[in-house]
Amino acid sequence: MESYPAEYLFTKSLKGFFEEVGQLSRFAARFFREVVKPPYEFKALMNQSYIIGYKSLPLIAITGLIMGMVLTIQSRPTMAQFGAESWLPGMVSISIIREIGPVIAALIFAGKVGSGIGAELASMKVTEQIDAMEVSGLNPFKFLVVTRVAATTLMLPVLVIASDAISLFGCFLAVNLKGDISFHLFFTQVFSSVTFNDVFPALIKTFFFGFSVGIIGCYKGYNSVKGTEGVGAAANSAVVIGSLAVFIIDMIAVQLTSLFN
Amino acid sequence: MEDIVAELEHLKKSFGTKDVLKDINVTLKKGENLVVLGKSGSGKSVLIKCLVGLIDPDDGKAVLFGKNISELQNHELNLLRKRVGFLFQSAALYDSMTVRENLEFPLRDLKDQDKTDTEALIREALKNVGLEEAIDKMPSELSGGMIKRVGLARTLILKPEIILYDEPTTGLDPITSKEISNLILEVQRKYSTASIIITHDVACARITANRIIIIKDGIFIAEGTFGELSSSEDEWIRSFFI
Repeated sequence: MESYPAEYLFTKSLKGFFEEVGQLSRFAARFFREVVKPPYEFKALMNQSYIIGYKSLPLIAITGLIMGMVLTIQSRPTMAQFGAESWLPGMVSISIIREIGPVIAALIFAGKVGSGIGAELASMKVTEQIDAMEVSGLNPFKFLVVTRVAATTLMLPVLVIASDAISLFGCFLAVNLKGDISFHLFFTQVFSSVTFNDVFPALIKTFFFGFSVGIIGCYKGYNSVKGTEGVGAAANSAVVIGSLAVFIIDMIAVQLTSLFN
Repeated sequence: MEDIVAELEHLKKSFGTKDVLKDINVTLKKGENLVVLGKSGSGKSVLIKCLVGLIDPDDGKAVLFGKNISELQNHELNLLRKRVGFLFQSAALYDSMTVRENLEFPLRDLKDQDKTDTEALIREALKNVGLEEAIDKMPSELSGGMIKRVGLARTLILKPEIILYDEPTTGLDPITSKEISNLILEVQRKYSTASIIITHDVACARITANRIIIIKDGIFIAEGTFGELSSSEDEWIRSFFI
């Protein structure tokens, strides 16, 4: 087997990385150009929103419920040591709304929707369906990419709101496992702890999470190499890079939020 | 000259170190069926993909209806593409859509079509290929031959002046292959379309061809009618027709 010097391999990987970033940026720029240009694919957008949003709801809801319960159960002993069990609803709700809810929902979303988009578009590419749209004189980018990215961008915030609400309900159930608090009192405590500064930045960043998951999934699928191996690789890298992008955006969002606060 | 609807001039295309097309020159006349015969991997499909701009050639030009497609803006190229039908080897039906939706798809940009017209066009296209009953089926419910027919119906729905067939009979049994070949001939007669038929199926070539070109290692090595080429003095060419 031929061996290459480490320096050569490093330079090659770095070049590949920047090429990939450049191509992804061009792909995203094309999205912004096409999204404002008529004709608008409202029907396809509604269809994608249904598939991406509504069909992801059960998974996001179950994850949210479990997350709320687990977080509460895990936090209780520590809070109890300080005699601060009554702060549990407030503490858990801030954690969920600010950070854990959006990030966990976005990661689940990247796994389910990002991989689905990557695999679907890659498979359409392999079976020449995208070429067939192109030779019909239509714009496959607009029909396939713009609608999917718009749907992920719009649907993830909605899913995160639903997930947060269900997580808080999970938290309420978990608090009641070893305690006794009414539904009304629980949510009074939650809403007295949570402020606009907790909700708004967390909601804004979910649009960016949704956009990144959608654009990466579409980019990987739309540009996949031929063959069934390419379909698997597109789905895989859509999840890996999409999840990584969620963390990077989250880190930037946290820095910006603390700067403005 | 005015009879020529498509032309490839000095077309060259390489993939990596492999020269797939080396100086290809071909003209397609109005109303003729031109068959391009060649072994697998000889660059036949690349040739028609260059003609509609799906693949950019390295050198030379592809001319459709007198216009060099590499000089056209995207919207101009799309307008031109609406006058050209393309039947892919796999038919490339959109597998998330029913047959009706597949046929509706190319019509979505036609603003002056109302719903009744669209329905009539879809039914007519399906009737032409004998598959009216499959209108609400999904592609996964169709056989290989039916998929090719629906692909042809989708190609026909915009009433193209040129149809490019990429291996229309590949993967089909001899009877279905013959049916598809006869359908190609029927389409040519009914709509006076000009067609390029990429194939390595000699039976299909015999039924459909007005003129045959044989491609070998990226260049055209022979041209003529089925009778002329099948009695060629060149043994390699003759071996195609045995």
